[in-house]
Amino acid sequence: MSFSEKKTGIIGWGVYIPRWRIKLEEIARIWGFSPTTHKGLMVEEKSVAGKDEDAVTMGWEAAKNALIRAGIKPSEIGAVWFGTESKPYAVKPSATIIAEALGIVPETMATDLEFACRAASEALRISLGMISSGMIKYALVIGSDTAQANPGDVLEFTASSAATALITGPSSEAVAVFEASYTYVTDTPDFWRRAHVPYPLHGEGFTGEPAYFKHIIGAVKGLFEKAGLKPSDFDYAIFHQPNGKFPLSVGKKLGFTREQILPGLVTPYIGNSYNSSALIGLAKVLDEAKPGQRILLAPFGSGAGSDAYSIVVTDKVLEKQDKAPKVKDYLDRKTIIDYALYAKYRNLILRIRG
Amino acid sequence: MKFSIARFWREKQAHYRLKAAKCKSCGRVNYPPSSICRYCGSRDLEEIFLLNEKAKLLTWTIIYSVAEGFEDKRPRIIGLVETIETKARILAPITDVLPEELSEGTILEPVLRRINEDGEAGIIHYAIAYRPVIKPVGRKED
Ligand SMILES: [Zn+2]
Repeated sequence: MSFSEKKTGIIGWGVYIPRWRIKLEEIARIWGFSPTTHKGLMVEEKSVAGKDEDAVTMGWEAAKNALIRAGIKPSEIGAVWFGTESKPYAVKPSATIIAEALGIVPETMATDLEFACRAASEALRISLGMISSGMIKYALVIGSDTAQANPGDVLEFTASSAATALITGPSSEAVAVFEASYTYVTDTPDFWRRAHVPYPLHGEGFTGEPAYFKHIIGAVKGLFEKAGLKPSDFDYAIFHQPNGKFPLSVGKKLGFTREQILPGLVTPYIGNSYNSSALIGLAKVLDEAKPGQRILLAPFGSGAGSDAYSIVVTDKVLEKQDKAPKVKDYLDRKTIIDYALYAKYRNLILRIRG
Repeated sequence: MKFSIARFWREKQAHYRLKAAKCKSCGRVNYPPSSICRYCGSRDLEEIFLLNEKAKLLTWTIIYSVAEGFEDKRPRIIGLVETIETKARILAPITDVLPEELSEGTILEPVLRRINEDGEAGIIHYAIAYRPVIKPVGRKED
């Protein structure tokens, strides 16, 4: 069966991870957690954005890398969609700042999307619709977060900072073509943040089974049924990565092997970068993928929803892989900081500012 | 620290994309851009953007007595850099680096950063800073 997604693909991809990392054992030391609490998460360190960074600056660098790989003129982009839950302004689009700073303005659509960790994935699906309909040729989709967590909350162990950008466009130019996609959403009280409240809260008992597992499994099974696919058809499986454990566990429930999941698992090294969490896994796989390989991508966002995509790599991937820094290059650029510096960088220290 | 929203908005192409002015008579590149070449006085200049160029660190200063609003960025490192191809000289913040890691000739690349903000409620000022290039692992650098 052929779907309209087939007319579209990924033209360029790029990521950004800040230089700074904090070890989870340092967070446990400060808040007195049992050493077993964070070991169960299967995350060693999380990335921390510096004092002059935010979701816009990180998204800008990921987008710049994606543009270099795409090899198109910025002015050819017809939409800039920015998925985040840590936008610098409550009102004033981040997308226009990035569009202006990369020379994409003024003839483009631009907006910020919000759906917890899944906003950028919604943007991705919207882009497939607009490109396959012929309304635009290229879209720039960015997932970027300096994820916030209440200091001392278990979420603080993993809430991290990173960005991923994808440029989507016609399949004839693509490094990877979309075969089919499927979305599964319901109203679920697993995680939220009210206006004027600085940190999100989570519904006890809701984050695992009724949220993460139910929605990802719903989306992936929906995709399988729609497109007639099964786990063994895929070379890679990339899921939303709130910690190192959940993706392996949801993959196992769906019938995937560890070998299919591990290449796209980035969370153990940088934590959960929210809107970039699954997409940076896709970027890492594209950094290494070979023509003809098939990728399953399933981002998830609280509230809750998941999208499943089947993506097939083309021979154009090889000429693009070395054109911009890879996920591994950013992973290797790291300096460990202590909780005090992390608290300063992420504005956790209360002070009066002029 | 208060700064002029109107002035920053007017100058955004220089702050965001390193818009500069190349002199058609002496060939030098003026940054920030100006309508008169500061090297030869010519009024015949063309617009260029330096965003895709790496640069070399010529000299830098470490500022411990920072201006109001920059307390959380202390110490600030301000560098004089020279772009590799166009030889434009740019004064800009140097970021993602510890003072002891810098040396003359360090190769840098431009990155958009959050330079300053007008208090808790005001506008956020984004502009280009420079940081040491991301080194590719196990591949040749171009
Ligand atoms: Zn001149």
